Amino acid sequence: MGTFKPSPLELQLSAYIDGQANERDRQDVEELLVNDPQARALHDALKHGAETGRRAFEDMLKEPVPLDLVRAIRNAALPRKAIRLPHAPHPTLSFKPSGPQIAATCLVLFLLGGGIGYLVGARPVASETELISATAANGRDWLDDIIAHYRLYARQTDHLAEIPAERPADILEWLTTNTGVGFRIPDLSDSGLTFQGARLFAAGDVPVGQLLYRRTDGDGDGDVVAISFTKTRLEGNRSIEEIRNDTGLVSWVTPLATYMVVGPSSAADLDDIAAKAAGLI
Amino acid sequence: MNQASLSTDIRRDLVALLPRLRRFALTLTGNAPEADALVREVADRAIQKSHHWKGEDRLENWLFSMMRSRADEARKRKRVDPDAADSGNAPGNHNSSNALLSMPEGFASALLLADVEGFTYAEGAAILSIPTDQFVARLCAARLKLSSVGTATSERRA
Repeated sequence: MGTFKPSPLELQLSAYIDGQANERDRQDVEELLVNDPQARALHDALKHGAETGRRAFEDMLKEPVPLDLVRAIRNAALPRKAIRLPHAPHPTLSFKPSGPQIAATCLVLFLLGGGIGYLVGARPVASETELISATAANGRDWLDDIIAHYRLYARQTDHLAEIPAERPADILEWLTTNTGVGFRIPDLSDSGLTFQGARLFAAGDVPVGQLLYRRTDGDGDGDVVAISFTKTRLEGNRSIEEIRNDTGLVSWVTPLATYMVVGPSSAADLDDIAAKAAGLI
Repeated sequence: MNQASLSTDIRRDLVALLPRLRRFALTLTGNAPEADALVREVADRAIQKSHHWKGEDRLENWLFSMMRSRADEARKRKRVDPDAADSGNAPGNHNSSNALLSMPEGFASALLLADVEGFTYAEGAAILSIPTDQFVARLCAARLKLSSVGTATSERRA
């Protein structure tokens, strides 16, 4: 492991070469380059080092790629069938109305239509509050909020969880009361995940419970994986698996709540974790 | 796009990216046999998990992140199992590559991501799963190391 630590001037010059220095640093560096031969030599050395590295890396591309590697990728097996996560049940209705039923339905619809028409005519414009609520409650906002919270807290070392894992009773009471979703704390140690604690936050204007795990075994040691849940339903009640903003997410829906597993995009086993959590939570 | 065509596409993309994937793998492993094994493992994983990829960012971000994650895991296994550390540690056969790959851990990766692959400091740090300050320090240190290697070589030749 390298312990070589560049000096502040070296870092400043390196950032200057990349055009990443702020305005003040840039002016300081330019002044130094005019007046200080040592700084000038260091600047040239950094540029030379970058150029040497670039050339060496370009040379690496000239090496032939092993043919068996190309064949292995071209002939790789197709993805296995996606893991089926639980969906909200779709009711199956048999629709075979009789003549009198049709007549009665038409009458009810006529009266209902008249009633709705009357209400719309009496109050034609929806209030601003209702419009804002409708916009905020859509699925995309909710998912983006979940991702934003994950990205904020996943980088915390000392303040990852609001209630630590040592107080499971508090976690169950606090999150169940506030989200209205009954749950258990899944033991995901089989997936190399250790429970760290829980949080409560708002996403899309509704409370969301979040169980936080840290990977202590296997790929990406130290990575944080979160299970979030809320009563909010995703549009279309469907499960989703995707990567947003360098963050992977897998969601599933039950009749009572929507759940989501969130983790780094490099974690390729989020769907496996979601499948396990769905059976345990 | 259906699942079958998506898989076909990612295979094609992987083959096109193969030289660059190997190059990044070399900066992580330091030797060609392990780099090839790493590329094969990550390519297989990417194909199996191709439904995760929605085409919103650069495919390299995802692949490089996955590769770094697998390399970290392999490195940890080596520390636990010293026998594994001895296997396949053959040095590269190019002097310029040797200078790069013999740098301290993480230096060559930072240099490749910033100076060659064109990632921003933040993107490079995210791929290597390190703070941005540490990425910047590694990049600067790598440039300084290579600069002295280049100078020493020139002096020897003179």
